Amino acid sequence: MRTSLVASLLVLGNALPLAAQARPAEPPKLLTANGGLMFWTLVIFLGVMFILTKFAFKPITRAVEAREQALEDSIESAKRDREEAARLLEEHRKLVAQAHADAQRFIVEGRDAGEKVRAEILEQAHREQQQVLDRARQEIESERQKAMVELRRDTVNLAVRGASKVIEKNLDDETNRKVVESFLASLESVGNR
Amino acid sequence: MTFRSLVLGLVCVAAPIAVRAQVVPQAAPAGQVRVGPRGDRLTGPEAGPVDIIMPHIIDSHSIELPYWGERELPRWKPVRIGSVAIDVSPTKHVVMLLVAAVLCMAVLIPAAITHERHHTARGSPKGFATGIEAMVLYIRNEVILPNVGPHGNAFVPFGLTLFFFILFANLLGLVPYGSTATGNISVTAMLAIVTFVVVEATGMKTQGWRYVRTVVYVPPKEIPFIMKLFMVPIMTVVEIIGKFTKPFALAVRLFANMTAGHVVLLALISLAFTFQSYFVGLAAATMGVGSSLLEIFVAFLQAYIFTILSCVFIGLMRSAAH
Repeated sequence: MRTSLVASLLVLGNALPLAAQARPAEPPKLLTANGGLMFWTLVIFLGVMFILTKFAFKPITRAVEAREQALEDSIESAKRDREEAARLLEEHRKLVAQAHADAQRFIVEGRDAGEKVRAEILEQAHREQQQVLDRARQEIESERQKAMVELRRDTVNLAVRGASKVIEKNLDDETNRKVVESFLASLESVGNR
Repeated sequence: MTFRSLVLGLVCVAAPIAVRAQVVPQAAPAGQVRVGPRGDRLTGPEAGPVDIIMPHIIDSHSIELPYWGERELPRWKPVRIGSVAIDVSPTKHVVMLLVAAVLCMAVLIPAAITHERHHTARGSPKGFATGIEAMVLYIRNEVILPNVGPHGNAFVPFGLTLFFFILFANLLGLVPYGSTATGNISVTAMLAIVTFVVVEATGMKTQGWRYVRTVVYVPPKEIPFIMKLFMVPIMTVVEIIGKFTKPFALAVRLFANMTAGHVVLLALISLAFTFQSYFVGLAAATMGVGSSLLEIFVAFLQAYIFTILSCVFIGLMRSAAH
């Protein structure tokens, strides 16, 4: 505003010497300057500039600048949104990868655990089987021992009864018995072998 | 819609005017029968050779109006400032400048109002306002802002006014009863002076005391003293002349372009009357149409050139590396 005021004053000052050259009395020629016309040109131009600036160019420029601003803002926000989306996607990818790794780990761990349990069960079964076998063997052994003892007693009894029948006839019981016992002892050492 | 009906109405009004338009009787070679524009034989003394080109181009104190014919404009007493007398009575070109100014406002201000209404209503302009917006934006973004340098928003109204005002003044020479005010050296000189003042004021404002360096040549340090002694006065004169050649070239360019087109057009039309031949008339009319189309282009081009050069000068002064 101030610039245009200064400009108009300077223009007036500049126009005066030029205007002085114009002779209104002469018939107008193609290349003669006409001070009055110059004055009107200046007045009309400045008037047009003032009015158009106020009522035409300012509103249009303002609206266009507002639109440019809005466009810039929306571009900016779109960029922001895209970055946000990219960030989220990256995060999700990471999560999925993490889940995959976890699943893999779980599977491996499960397989290991299963393997261990299987081995344990197998070992235990072996052990139990062994125990059962051992017990059976022991039982058989003890039964055998028992049967042997019983058999020996029965044999002794039978022998004693047989011998007593024999000896009843010739010797006293006591002496005969000792003889038989010693005999059986000798037998036993042989049978144990 | 309203714009189209406006144009239609203008055409309806203009048609009978064009029919009634009088053509100045032309000179015929001596010894032959003189024929007027409507085929009537002219014998009176008014049928002699008449200069139609110069009166058409130069300014006058009368104006041609549709239906009213030629009217004298009022004569006022010259305004005296000291020993200087300025005749401020309105002339044809003053009227044309006023018409151009009114047209500028009549086109741009409603467009701006519509533009703003559309903008608040739907976010973007439509129709005629879009076209005006495109022109305003083109001049602002491609012509003014890149040339005046950074932070040049203060020069946008000046550049836009230069463009539209010169454009309308140029185009007024192409409509019936119109006259090219920008084909007058006084008008273009005044516009150039305005540019000159804006350029120099910008220089004083942005350069401060360094503005003196655009007037007085300051030689670089590495030049020997003897050389400086010669260089400074010579180059100072060159600098000062350079300051005045720029607006002078602006003024003469616009004036000469606007004048030349009309001289060519009138000379072409005059060929038909000079040769008294329909064939020449046909050729002249064809070339006249082409020349008129060219004139429309030149009207835009010269307004554009005046604006862009003014902005370039402002930009040069603002950066002022010389």
